[in-house]
Parts: sequence; structure tokens; C-alpha cells
Amino acid sequence: MIEVEHFTKRYGDFMAVDDLNLSIGEGEIYGFIGPNGAGKSTTIRFLATLLKPTSGEGRIAGHSVTNDPMAVRRVIGFMPDDFGVYDGMKVWEFLDFFAVAYEIPRLERRRIIGEVLQLLDLTHKRDDYVNGLSKGMKQRLCLAKTLVHNPPVLILDEPSAGLDPRARLEMKYLLNELRRMGKTILVSSHILSELADFCTSIGVIERGKLLASGSIQDIQKQLRSHRVLKVRILNENPSQFEYILKNHSSVKAPSVNTIERTLSAEFEGDGPAQADLLRQMMDAGAIVEAFDEEQISLEDVFMMITKGIVN
Amino acid sequence: MGMIRDNPVLSRELLVNLRSHRAFILQFVYAGLLATAVLLAWPQAGDGRIGASVSAARQLFDLFFYGQFILVALVAPTFAAGSITGEKERKTYELLLASPLKPSWILVGKLFSSLTYLILLLFSSLPMMILGYLLGGILLSEVARAYLVLILAAGTFGLVSVACSSFFSRTSSALVVSYLIILPIAIMGIYLASTDNFQLRNFVTLTLLPPWTLATWTIVVWLINLRLLRPPDVGSEGKDVMDEQEEQKYAIGVVIDRDLFPDKLFAPAKRTDLMPDGTNPVLDKELRSEIFSQGTLMLRVVIQVSMFLSIPLMAGFLFWRTMPGWYICYVLTFNLLVGPVFSAGSITQERERQTLNLLLTTLLTPGRIVRAKLMAALRVSTVLTLLLTEQVILAYVLVRDLQLQFLTIIPFFIIILASCLVTSSLGLMWSSLVRKTSVSIIATYLSLLLLFVAPFGVYQWALTIFPETPDNILRWIMTPSPYASALSVPIVGDRLTSTGSDISPIERPLAFAKVQIWVISLGISLLISLICHLVTLVAFRYKWWKARESV
Ligand SMILES: Nc1ncnc2c1ncn2[C@@H]1O[C@H](COP(=O)(O)OP(=O)(O)OP(=O)(O)O)[C@@H](O)[C@H]1O
Ligand SMILES: [Mg+2]
Repeated sequence: MIEVEHFTKRYGDFMAVDDLNLSIGEGEIYGFIGPNGAGKSTTIRFLATLLKPTSGEGRIAGHSVTNDPMAVRRVIGFMPDDFGVYDGMKVWEFLDFFAVAYEIPRLERRRIIGEVLQLLDLTHKRDDYVNGLSKGMKQRLCLAKTLVHNPPVLILDEPSAGLDPRARLEMKYLLNELRRMGKTILVSSHILSELADFCTSIGVIERGKLLASGSIQDIQKQLRSHRVLKVRILNENPSQFEYILKNHSSVKAPSVNTIERTLSAEFEGDGPAQADLLRQMMDAGAIVEAFDEEQISLEDVFMMITKGIVN
Repeated sequence: MGMIRDNPVLSRELLVNLRSHRAFILQFVYAGLLATAVLLAWPQAGDGRIGASVSAARQLFDLFFYGQFILVALVAPTFAAGSITGEKERKTYELLLASPLKPSWILVGKLFSSLTYLILLLFSSLPMMILGYLLGGILLSEVARAYLVLILAAGTFGLVSVACSSFFSRTSSALVVSYLIILPIAIMGIYLASTDNFQLRNFVTLTLLPPWTLATWTIVVWLINLRLLRPPDVGSEGKDVMDEQEEQKYAIGVVIDRDLFPDKLFAPAKRTDLMPDGTNPVLDKELRSEIFSQGTLMLRVVIQVSMFLSIPLMAGFLFWRTMPGWYICYVLTFNLLVGPVFSAGSITQERERQTLNLLLTTLLTPGRIVRAKLMAALRVSTVLTLLLTEQVILAYVLVRDLQLQFLTIIPFFIIILASCLVTSSLGLMWSSLVRKTSVSIIATYLSLLLLFVAPFGVYQWALTIFPETPDNILRWIMTPSPYASALSVPIVGDRLTSTGSDISPIERPLAFAKVQIWVISLGISLLISLICHLVTLVAFRYKWWKARESV
């Protein structure tokens, strides 16, 4: 549904995005993740026909982004990361304005505006002035705006930036709901945990380069093999047990912290292998206080990916 | 003194303002211009007439004084009117208000920073003034007094502009209202200063002026303080949320009612239901939402002040003397001031408010957007301008001389309408060319000044440079100016009936022309507007649609 081929954008000498390739299938939610300044918005604005690429091509629903922007605009709903609202307009007028701009006939407009307001839980704000809305409500209003022409593709640049936790959660449900409606969604964020549970695939971008891209299972599988095991012992000298870790087939790069009396290592094995390791240590006389698999947060994953540990 | 020395607002602004190259270049250009004036006016060695140098000195002095006075009136608002609205537009206003700085410190910081540069400019003329003094014929006290008046004027005009800046939320509104208040004061000041009665002049400048300016300052400062201490309800992100009905309740004087004629012409009622199919949404939005989005204060002030000024002008030029051309010049000046407000910000504001992204990803073509913006701006500025022509119609009905030549009302209206088109088109053009509304507005005013006033200057200059060229060829230079057209419509009753170049260029600049005046005016205006429109389209497409570098 969304195709990016060799997209490159250069600002003067600065390479904002460097030879980016992407392919997003129909019905997917693609999470586009990267730290500040990675080039997410640059890529997204290119897809939204707002940016001329230095080189490369994009295609949405078969329409070329550079050669046929009008056709692309018809099929996408775009929500920029930074946007303003018009002064002196009420919520329904705002939506009506964009609906007319998308050439939707009046009869349908009435129905659609009611529907999107309901979908985004803004019905009670229908007659409020838009610039009196809170940031989160503006965010929702902008999302409502992207939906008025019922586009099959949604391109959302950090839709949940500036939202409170509850609103973030709602945004998540909302995106899931939209996916159920059959929409293809490209959504960016610099917070991975926000995307991980509902994205079907993710791409990680840093300094203009796509570091990893694929279905969320693939990436998680890669990560599973990189769990860190922590063993805390009460014995005087923890390093005497280091050899057990060194010799165990599922363990990599063990290390000892004598002050905290912990041994830690990367662990690639499964459950039985873990039990085996624990038994070996007990047999050798270790008084094990804690035997833990360190939880890798999604943020850590992100750090690992952007540092090139995983790809 | 501490307020000035340790004022963070002042030091930050001064740093930003004075560090720019632009400031220095401007200073150089200004000093160069002054030097040229001195050089031209300096008495030639062979000029043996007694007193030649004295009269040259007097001329030079007058030129400097009036020139700089006008400069102050025109430039002070451009520096000061954006001082607080700029903070609002950059969304730093709340930060400033929330800081522990006292309002009076903010005010002093803003005022001094916006006026320092202007006063620097004024003082760069001091060496030239001294040269003039050396020629003889001028008292040192006169030079000192001239500077006193100039500085008082700079302070007053600056304060008025800062006050406007604190009351409005957009620089464009603040600027236009500042001009509307300042220009009449400036014209009156020039009139008073030009009396030959020394006694009166001394009385006015030394006894009357300083205390009255100080009194005015106090009141204005008090007003600004009040406004800064108790800012109106600001919505999220520091924008005023205006409720029209609420605001109108407290309005003094004119109230704008969207349902009544003539208000509904420029401010059609807000929609209560969806737009009909086929509406241009941008046009609809501009007319029904944007114009009043900042409240009706600006429009009310504009309407009231212009109506108020029109009364003596109507009495003088339409009823007492039969000189409708001069009254039309006033109408044109009003249009020059007000026209750009509605167009010069219309594209830059979309960008400043970050709505351009949203607009450009819809199916609206650049052509439709630009046309809608032009139509909206044109409609509002035309209706507001035509409000001032009621008086013209009244005069044509009541005054016998005008009744007899009622057809002359047609060229007048054509000239006014053509001027409306030009002011809006030029504003929109600048709005598409530059990034900031304030820059766009000032660029528009400058180019309008060039179009309206410069032709007269160029003509005068051409007279001395090409003395052999026949006058009625040189007078073609003045045709672009709508003022020249308005003054040239032949009116019986003020002995200005005959045609030909024997009529002085002040009385009827274009009297030489064999074609109807309005044909010239309309032709030139249409040409300029067309060019502006094309430039706008190309710029809009090229900069934001084709290049799409950094919307
Ligand atoms: N108009 C521009 N001129 C010059 N450089 C630019 C321009 N726009 C973006 N950049 C640069 O390109 C890089 C990528 O910016 P981009 O906005 O795509 O980042 P991002 O991934 O969206 O970051 P964020 O998470 O902060 O939104 C940044 O380093 C930015 O400084
Ligand atoms: Mg971004």
C-alpha cells in the first residue's frame, strides 16, 4: 500500500534521510520509531506530498507521490506533528471546512461529521471554538480531520505527543479500531512502548538510516535471544562460580560484580537450560538469593537497535 | 535608571536588533541620503547673492526637520507595533507575563528597544544639522528644539504603537491602528510647525508640547500597564479566545452587527449549518471566521477613527470648497492603510499558525486558495473603504456645483475601486513572497508608498534633471499614483475646468492627458494587480508546492 524507494533528502550538506526503502502492506499498522531528529517527519512529509525529495520515489495505493500528488492526497489522511487550528472556528465548522476541501457533498458531510465526532469522542465539543480546545483535544480533532474523506491510508506523525497517559491509551484503542476498519496506518513516535503492542510491523530509523524493519514478531524474536540473566549469591566470593557460566553452552559474555555479589550474562537458552544452570550452581555450593531474567524494556531494545547491537 | 540598565527585555531586544547587518546598512544609507541633500543644497562658490547661504540653510533645516518628522511617524510604528504582538505570535507572551518582571519593566524594555534604533538614526543627522547651522541663519536653540520635538514625537508614536501592540493579538492590526492614530497627529504637527508666526511656534513647541506629551504618555503607560497586569482570558497556547457576542457587549461606540447592512457585506453572518456544495471553503472561512477571529476591536477602531476624520475633510473639500479630488485622496489613503491588513497576512499567517500543512494536503489547488484569499481581502477592504464614500454621494446630492456635473462621480468611484484591487493584490503578493506577516505588511506599505507618493517626487526630480523635456511628457511619470488620478478629474467650480499642461501639476497632475483619467488609472491598476496575482501564484506554487522545502 505504501512503498518508498531510495528516498533521500538532503538539506544543504546535511543528510536528513539517506536512501530509505520501505514497504507497508495493506491493513498493516506500521510503527516508525526513531529518536529526535532521526528523519521520521521528513519521510512522512515526503509521503504526504509536502516535501520534494532530493532523489527517490514513493507510491501510495499505486499513485506516485512526486508525479501525482493530487491522487495521493485523495487516498491519505495526514496528521502533521506540529499543526495549528484556525481562529474563530467551531469544531463542526473546522471539520466542515476540511470536508468541503475534500469535495465531499453536503448530504454526506452531515453524516460523516457526526460519525467522526462520535468516533473521537468529541460530540460534546461540537460547538466549542477550536482554539479554546486543550492540546489533547486538538490532537483528536486533527485526527478527526484526517478521517473526513475516509482515506484508506492514514499517515500520522506522533499522534500521541503531548497526550496524558489515559489519552495515549485511548489513542491506541482508536488506532486499533481504525485498523479493524481496514485502514493502513503509518504512525511515528519516539516511544517504542507506545507502538509495540498494536503495530503489526515497525521500522527503526536513526540519523536518516533505516536500521531495522519488519514484523514485530521477527524483531522480538531477535531480541528474545538477548536476554540478560542476573544471579545474586550470598557467598563471600562470587567470582568462584564464574567458571560455571563460562562453561555453560547457552551463556555468553559473563561478568561479575563483587560489590553487589551478582553474576550476569547474556543468555540464549530456553527454560530447561535455565533450570540446568541453576542446578549446576547450587551443586557447586552457591547460595543463590535471586536468579532472574532481567526484563528488557522496549526502550532498551530501542537503544540496542540504535546502537547497532541488533539488526 | 536601573529599569533601563538592568532590564533583561531591553538588553535582549537590543542585542537582536542592533546586531543585524540590516541595521548598519540602513544607517549608512540614511546618512548617505542626508549627506547628498546637504551637498545639493550647499551654496555654490559663484553664488554671490547676499543671503543665499542663509536661505539655503533654512531650506536644509526645514528639509531635515520635516523629513525626519515624517520618518519618525512612518517608522516608529514599524518598530514598536510588533513588540508585544510579536511575543504573542511567537507564543512567548505567557512566558513573559508569567515572569517576575513587572509590567512597567516589560513596557520600558519594549519601548526603548524599539526606539533606540530610530533615535540613533535621528542623531546621525546631527552633523548635517550642525553644517546647516554653520551656514548661518539658524539659531542653535532652533536645532535643539527640533531634536526635542523629534524625540518627543518618537516617544509618543512609539508608545501609541506599543499600546496598540498590547491591545491586539496580531501585528497587522496593531500596525494599522497605530498609523490611523499617528498619521493625523503627525499631519497636524507639521501644519502647526509650518506657521511663520515665531511666537506661536515657540509657544507650541516649548510651552504646550512637553507637558501635553507627558500627560499623554502617562495615560498611555497606565493603559498598557493595566493591560499587561490583567491580560484578557487567554486560551491554551496563549491565544486570546474571543467570543464575539461577549466582546460586543462591552464595545464603546460602533457595534458591528453581522446581520445588518452594511456590516454583513464585509462580515457575513457566521454559519449555523454546513456550507452548501460548491462553496470555496477558503473564501468562506476567511470571511466568516478569520476577520473577526481577533475580535472586533480593530475594525471598530478603524471605522470610528476614519469616520471621525472624514467629517472635517468632508466639510472642507466637499461643502466649503468644491474639491472632491482631495476628499477622494483621503479615501485612497484610508484604503492604502487598511487594504493590506486583510491580504498581507493571509498566506504568511497560515504558515505562522501551522495550518498550511493541513491546507496543502487537501484537494484544494494553489490557484483556488490564492483566489479565495484575494476575494476575501478585496471584499472586506472595498466595503470598508466604500463606507467613506457616503459623504461623497451626499455632497453630489446636496452641493449645487457637483449636481451639475454628477457624472464626475463615476471616475472617482472607478479610481477608488481600482485602488482597492491594487492594495489587496500587492498585499497578497508580499504574503506569498516572504515568511513573516510583519515583514509582509511593511513591505506592502513600502511598495504602496512607492506607488502612491513616489511618482510625485520622481516628477519633481525629473523637472530639474531634464529641463528641456516638455512638461506634458514628464507628467506621465505621475500616472501610476491613484492620488494623481483623483486630483486630475476635472471639476468645475474651482476654476480647474480647462485642460492642458498650463494647469499646475499640484492642482491637476494629469491635466495634460488626452484620454479620460479613469482609463489611465484603471489600466495601470489592472496591470499592476494582474502582475501581482501572477507573481503570487508562481511564488505560492513554486515555494510551497513545487519546492516544498520547509512549509
Ligand atoms: N527545513 C530544514 N532545513 C534544514 N534541516 C532540516 C529541515 N527540516 C528538518 N531538518 C533536519 O533534518 C533532520 C530530520 O528531521 P525530522 O523532522 O525528520 O526528525 P524527526 O525524526 O521527525 O524528529 P522528532 O522526533 O524530533 O520529530 C533533523 O536533524 C533536522 O534538523
Ligand atoms: Mg518529527
